[in-house]
Amino acid sequence: MVYEVANGVLIYYLPEELDHYAADMLKRKTAHVFDEEEIRYLIFDFSKTQFMDSSGIGLITGRFRMVHDKGGCVYAVHVNETIDRILLMSGIYRILKKMDSLDAIKKEMVKGGYYE
Amino acid sequence: MNSANEMNVEFDSVAKNESFARVIVASFITSTNPTLEEVSDIKTAVSEAVTNAIIHGYEKGAGKIWIRTVVEDRSVYIEVRDKGIGIADVKQAMEPLFTTKPEEERSGMGFSFMEAFMDRLEVESAAGEGTVVKMWKEIGAPAPHYE
Repeated sequence: MVYEVANGVLIYYLPEELDHYAADMLKRKTAHVFDEEEIRYLIFDFSKTQFMDSSGIGLITGRFRMVHDKGGCVYAVHVNETIDRILLMSGIYRILKKMDSLDAIKKEMVKGGYYE
Repeated sequence: MNSANEMNVEFDSVAKNESFARVIVASFITSTNPTLEEVSDIKTAVSEAVTNAIIHGYEKGAGKIWIRTVVEDRSVYIEVRDKGIGIADVKQAMEPLFTTKPEEERSGMGFSFMEAFMDRLEVESAAGEGTVVKMWKEIGAPAPHYE
């Protein structure tokens, strides 16, 4: 599974290598989701991801813009050390909240007014 | 003392080759005995340079990309070359967050990443002349630390 949508939440199950090739494919595959449903929350699940370059940063900031106007939030989960270095260096943690688990994200979302 | 060991490779300018490019460079430099972190740094830098050649150099059209890698003891030198449109203003292109393609959601961080993950970076280019990205890294040097 590449992504999942439910109740205005879009979860990206990111690939092992998040480069320009993979980022473009993900953008294309999920473009329709934003037309069909009001997405307020984005979750980037890095469980499988071992490699990422600045194209991954472009993917996240691009999707951030699509939910930001609606008062949405963007989360990262299951981030390993290698990926954490890249995310830190890019400065993206100003807009991306890193959480330990999907459960922790759900709790944050509920606090922010989300209900299933 | 080891003598220098050199690798040259030529491949088509297509996005699926980004992965191939960083993997061959990563395998070629194993003789320098890098840490996982150093391998990851080099893979990221190569990926950035090759992606730039594909997206900006050839503007996603047909073309060839060349990578030359030289290792000597624990020094790594990598050159990524294209014969694409070139960069008119290299200084501006290297500014953090500068991008000519914001509509494609390019982060503008490519050169910043290359600079951060390698010890030294040089870019030679002119409009219509293609681009050469030269990168150096000393394996076993103290790792940079990011706050």
